[in-house]
Amino acid sequence: MAYNAIRLEKGKAGWGGPLVIKPDEKRNVVLSVTGGGIDPVSQRIAELSGARVVDGFATTVADEEVFVAVVDCGGTARCGVYPKKGVYTVNLTPVGQSGPLAQYIKEDIYVSGVKVENVTLADEGATVSQAAKATEDAPKAAASAAAGNQKKSGLIVRLGKSVGGVVNKFFSAGKQTVQMVINNILPFMAFVSMLIGIISESGIGNIIAQAIAPISGSLIGLLIVCIVCALPFLSPILGPGAVIAQVVGVFLGVEIGKGNIPPQYALPALFAINPQVGCDFVPVGLSLGEATPETVEIGVPAVLFSRLITGPISVVIAFLFSFGLF
Amino acid sequence: MDFLAGLAEGFIGLFNAGGATFMGLVTGIIPTLVVLITFVNSIIMIVGEEKVERFAKKMTGNFFTRYTVFPFLAVFFLTNPMAYTFGKFLEEKYKPAFYDAAVSFVHPITGLFPHANAGELFVWLGISQGITQLGLGISELAVRYLIVGLIVILIRGIVTERITIMMMSRREAE
Repeated sequence: MAYNAIRLEKGKAGWGGPLVIKPDEKRNVVLSVTGGGIDPVSQRIAELSGARVVDGFATTVADEEVFVAVVDCGGTARCGVYPKKGVYTVNLTPVGQSGPLAQYIKEDIYVSGVKVENVTLADEGATVSQAAKATEDAPKAAASAAAGNQKKSGLIVRLGKSVGGVVNKFFSAGKQTVQMVINNILPFMAFVSMLIGIISESGIGNIIAQAIAPISGSLIGLLIVCIVCALPFLSPILGPGAVIAQVVGVFLGVEIGKGNIPPQYALPALFAINPQVGCDFVPVGLSLGEATPETVEIGVPAVLFSRLITGPISVVIAFLFSFGLF
Repeated sequence: MDFLAGLAEGFIGLFNAGGATFMGLVTGIIPTLVVLITFVNSIIMIVGEEKVERFAKKMTGNFFTRYTVFPFLAVFFLTNPMAYTFGKFLEEKYKPAFYDAAVSFVHPITGLFPHANAGELFVWLGISQGITQLGLGISELAVRYLIVGLIVILIRGIVTERITIMMMSRREAE
């Protein structure tokens, strides 16, 4: 099979890239991890490059065989998981360096906001990037070798070193935290504030309140919300980045604050709005746990169906546990 | 003219209200959050992943700790999404169930330990903000969220494990 080099550019508001990459004998799978079958961008990449396309939800392939992974991540997990593994990543959502794994998201391995028209054949003679794989292992090995060579030093020196080590850890923990706040927490706060501002001041809030307060203020209503969110064909779509759960959480919080929903429904509501948690992420999560392709094939439907049963159960348990609260 | 002025005032009013909300979130939540997350992150670095791994492995032997303590340790120490790598310690038939348990815990844990999933805090913060607005305390709600979360992931683990094993044996029979 002849393979062609392709050029992947970022879309409007996208980030990263452009990537000029070419499949080879070993890496020739376009892994489409987008929740709803194979999306057009994966299809297009496969057609142009000559690689074969695989639905990451139905099956999985070894990381070494993946030529490029196509995800639709809202900015929490999937967008970082593949770059961390050294796999070229195309994100259909225009998300830049974000999420807990933001440090692995670099321009030379990741491109986002990609649409079908951003996928083109590379020009003749364009330089093809090397597979980025296996870059991260080398320094680690060197570090452990260095550690092995260390001689025993005097008590004072050792004491000083260990104190220094602890202080360093505190410092880098602080750095990590601030990075997290800037990358993830503040942007979401800005988004939430805008939403709350518009909703509460424009009067839309009252309309929404009339619609959701009666539903969310009763056990039956919460169970209905939960079952709908847990439907196996909806749950993978509602899952990404927990954005839906977070926005609905904010809505309900505003209504609780206004007194439209009694506070004792807070606990069951936390479970009712979230039976879909991680349903978009099953194949990725399982491959992080080094599951075989057969396990992934079975695991996806197993988790999705389990949610239909355990979702409503969780709401009932939370309801029982909210007695005596508030 | 008056109409236009009113319109402009209404328009900017939306964003003034949003700005006030933002200010409230930033000054009310972030300071404690930053210090708390820094503290927990330091503990995680000092303890080290190897020690956690060694201890966690012991928790995989029976179904009870496999779907409670084990995912708790995974989510607490490795945080979302690296927590799922703990699946490697389990047999294939338990992996989907472990994933289900771990991923279902990434929000209940945020009430008390926001570091574990700082990117998705608003499932908890959204609702708990409402409670705060009523002038009620949220710590008891956070504790109950965690406890119910543990019960739910145990049930999810057991149910998903059953379904997985059923489907695997059906496939073998084919």
